[in-house]
Amino acid sequence: MDRRSLMKLGLAGLAAPALMRPARAQGATLNMYTSSDANISDFWSNVVKPSFEAANPGVQINVVIAREGGGTQAIAERALAALQTGTGPLLDIIEQHDPNLPAGGIDAGLWVDWTKAGIANYGRVNPLAIQTNFGLPYRGSQVLLAFDTTKLGQDEAPRTWAELVDWIKANPGQFIYNRPDKGGSGGNFVRRAIHEANGRDPSLFTVANFDAAKAEGMLAGGFDILADLAPSLFDAGAYTSGNANSIQLLAQGAVTMIPAWSDQALQAINQGVLPETTGLVQLTDLPLAGGFSQSVVPTNAENLDMAIALADFLLTPEIQTAIVTGIGGFPGVSWSELPADLQERFAAVVPASIPTFPGGDWGAAVSDGWYRNVAPNVTRD
Amino acid sequence: MTDTATSGGAATGRPDASGRVTGLILVALPVAMVMTMIVWPIGLAILDTLWLPGPDGTGARFSVASYRFFFSDGYSLGNLWITIWTTAVSTAILMAIAIPLSIYLRFRTGRAAAVVQALAIFPLFVPSIILAYAFVRVLGPNGMVDIILANIGLPRIRSPYLTVWGPVIGFVWDNLPLTVVILLAGLSGVSTQAVEAARDVGAGRIATFRHIILPRIGPSILVAASFVVLGLFSAFTFPYLLGPAAPEMMGPFMQRTFGDVLDPVQARTQAVVTFLFCAAFGWFYVRSIAANRRRMAR
Repeated sequence: MDRRSLMKLGLAGLAAPALMRPARAQGATLNMYTSSDANISDFWSNVVKPSFEAANPGVQINVVIAREGGGTQAIAERALAALQTGTGPLLDIIEQHDPNLPAGGIDAGLWVDWTKAGIANYGRVNPLAIQTNFGLPYRGSQVLLAFDTTKLGQDEAPRTWAELVDWIKANPGQFIYNRPDKGGSGGNFVRRAIHEANGRDPSLFTVANFDAAKAEGMLAGGFDILADLAPSLFDAGAYTSGNANSIQLLAQGAVTMIPAWSDQALQAINQGVLPETTGLVQLTDLPLAGGFSQSVVPTNAENLDMAIALADFLLTPEIQTAIVTGIGGFPGVSWSELPADLQERFAAVVPASIPTFPGGDWGAAVSDGWYRNVAPNVTRD
Repeated sequence: MTDTATSGGAATGRPDASGRVTGLILVALPVAMVMTMIVWPIGLAILDTLWLPGPDGTGARFSVASYRFFFSDGYSLGNLWITIWTTAVSTAILMAIAIPLSIYLRFRTGRAAAVVQALAIFPLFVPSIILAYAFVRVLGPNGMVDIILANIGLPRIRSPYLTVWGPVIGFVWDNLPLTVVILLAGLSGVSTQAVEAARDVGAGRIATFRHIILPRIGPSILVAASFVVLGLFSAFTFPYLLGPAAPEMMGPFMQRTFGDVLDPVQARTQAVVTFLFCAAFGWFYVRSIAANRRRMAR
């Protein structure tokens, strides 16, 4: 990191709390990028944007949707290139992005270090949710199984991986998951199979320990499990092209069970997209993976101070409560920081731990390996 | 080209020089755009796929390794094959529907023909993403067709959703209007008298089509087919939303290789291979246009 950016960072740390005052915030437009599903981009447009703009007159948030794999990756690469040439990245904050990408970004000083950014609410963040100093966890969710209780009773739903496999094979055509690169619900179902093949030990997979030769061996077991399941899936091995497409098939009654993001499923039930009779269940031997969205701010952001103020704003009780009640997500702050009635209401769904799976090279190896080993289904037609 | 330019100049009575300058100014902008936004990036992409860093990661040199990988990788070749298959099948089905339809529209008048024409042109105004979701509701599992079949006591069909037929059906519907419009334009050159004369001497429908209509609309069929093939070969929305996970058509395959596998060199290699196929069809199209012009000028 060069001296100029270091100074900028230090100054930002000192100045951020003061900048919460509206007087300094004349005429800034914050470019916020997201690659999440519509439930999250809607949350930004309808909840975060108006309340932050009301608290900071003259400031506007420009919600930019860069959806589909690699959407924010290209933006992050542009920010890194801009950092190297000393120009602006036209980016102030990415709502959810793996700070380990692009490679070398952290070493080059691309992302703001939240432990040094001096934001008032950082101390309230759930320590379990912090993966790196450069990603600010502000919301979380986890993949679970959503099913039609009119066809499968809540008590009969599978509770372990082995029970789930037995159920899928005993009910051919009633389960579908999406392609792992097209949405996290199918992606984390695939990752759960990989965990299963590796002694249910998520700690074997870390951002730093990727090695192509070793990975091939570790992933192969998971792909075998999935290839074995394929003939019992919907249409003898079909895979939807996204989280929402799986929910559509469950809603149309075409399948009985799908993996789904907890927040997306709860919102779909609330909005009537999924019927009231939809059941949700989590595996007890090892839950399906999930994660906390990590917000990143580039150190060369055009409106660095205001972007850091926005990150701090995300951790306020107002926004954190809205994440729980509005989009069915987990708060980024510790549950004890939320209003007492809310803690009580959601006591049952608060997860003790959320297994995670690293992105970057691991993620690429999982999805490309899946396309080559699981998706081609020669017996299908 | 030369004779059209001279005859045009003579017919309008304009001095040739000023006509040429106006013409050059008119084409300068599109040519500049094609050069900067198409030819230049294609050149860069081809260079990037042939000029690769050495095994130690430094020292770029000429190498065909990325093409060797593409053409020796069964998965990539499978994707190329399904793209060719889908394009060929969709174009064939489309022509089988569009040619009789446009002949009907050319030689019939009245309210029924107007309604058919409106229906045939309608998909032009529906975005393909909307069409894809409508497809799932209608032809998808437990969709409208399934419900109708179940209600009249017939067995349900196997849904084409998430199979190779999903994109084919989407493409045919989506490309029907443009194809019909092009063919109708070609059919306007077939005189009603010629068809009637053939019928008078006892030619049947098939003979009339083969000897009177087909020779006149041959170039239009080629133009329509070229448009459709070029559009389908790099299509993204329908194969992405309606097609199977594997094999993938080149559009989604390129996007995934670039954005998810994070392998830009291989993604560019796929793009260059796709481009070469499209360029071959493009050459057909340009040749047919040029041949047509020559014939008209004569």
